[in-house]
Amino acid sequence: MAQNRNKLIELFIANISNAVIHEILEQAVIEEFIADKYRKELATSFEVAKRYREKINPVNKPLPDKDIAYIKTKIINKVRAELTTRISKGYKNIDLDLIGNLVDKALKDTEIE
Amino acid sequence: MEIIGKISKGSKMDQIYIPKNRTGFCIGNYVIIKPLEEKKPVERFYFYDVKSIEPIKLEIVKEVMRIINENIENYENIIVTGSFLDEGFQFNDIDIIIVTEGKISTSKIENEIKKTGIKAHILILNNKALARGFESDPLYQMMLSRCITKKRFIYKTKQKINYKLLDLHLLKSKTLIDNSDILSGSEKYDLIRNMMAVYLYLQGRRLSKELVDNEIKKSFDLRDVNRIKQNIIEKKSFLKKYKSIYDKTFIKILKGIESGAEQE
Repeated sequence: MAQNRNKLIELFIANISNAVIHEILEQAVIEEFIADKYRKELATSFEVAKRYREKINPVNKPLPDKDIAYIKTKIINKVRAELTTRISKGYKNIDLDLIGNLVDKALKDTEIE
Repeated sequence: MEIIGKISKGSKMDQIYIPKNRTGFCIGNYVIIKPLEEKKPVERFYFYDVKSIEPIKLEIVKEVMRIINENIENYENIIVTGSFLDEGFQFNDIDIIIVTEGKISTSKIENEIKKTGIKAHILILNNKALARGFESDPLYQMMLSRCITKKRFIYKTKQKINYKLLDLHLLKSKTLIDNSDILSGSEKYDLIRNMMAVYLYLQGRRLSKELVDNEIKKSFDLRDVNRIKQNIIEKKSFLKKYKSIYDKTFIKILKGIESGAEQE
């Protein structure tokens, strides 16, 4: 089923946000975390985000600056909100400073920018 | 008293000649004749909650154990688990956990196992990590509830709820909520199973694949979990129920984090 571009972008944002949140939480529990082989095989948010990216035009080159700015801001806000919820409940060791770099990396890896 | 003799060919009957000067073996005595080469002892494995397994799979397990045994000198145990042990041949690969304190490269073993026609996923864990996974990770507990091992496998651990880890594990299953259209049936099943395992674990249940599958059937009103794998479930009502279980589980985890159950 064809989905409109805006909807695809929103789905992409939701999945990349989830992937970044996962990465930051993983850092927070790194010492208690053991090889997560079984879950590594689950359809990860990042993999799903890539599937959406393949449907967002232009497919093979970076998106227009306006789109990039919108996507980046939305992901950063989403990730910050989710992590802040956890921090407010007493979750320690969450490093909010990681957000910017991880979002930039994710957008480059998915050829958004 | 034992005498080793050789069977020789006779005209009407074959015979075994024995020396005339001997102790015992008097004329007229009855004796037992049996081959000198003893049968190789049958290798025994330990089966945990594996009620039956197809003979060809058992052969593969034997071959896997042999390959690992020949390639690794020091290991504590070899554990075969995952969908390979399910009835039928729907598995994609064979999951193998090698318990060892040493550092091992798995590529050679994986390549050798590949020659049997099956892809191997090998995980190297030391005893401590395995015990930790078993006591705090629902999916590990579920996987290890059903396995074949080279040596006896006993882990008497107390279930330990680590809310931060469960939060991380549950987060993976969030993918299904917004992405139902783009996921395959088996991806959906894996994500549901992951969520359900966390949900049941929080209730203090001892997990097994059977228990998790039964709860999935009950919660989503399904006759068979294969309906999820075949991607033929009714989307709207399914997602409503899924989201409700997900939210309930997440709230419980946040409460756990808040109460500082696992905080230092």
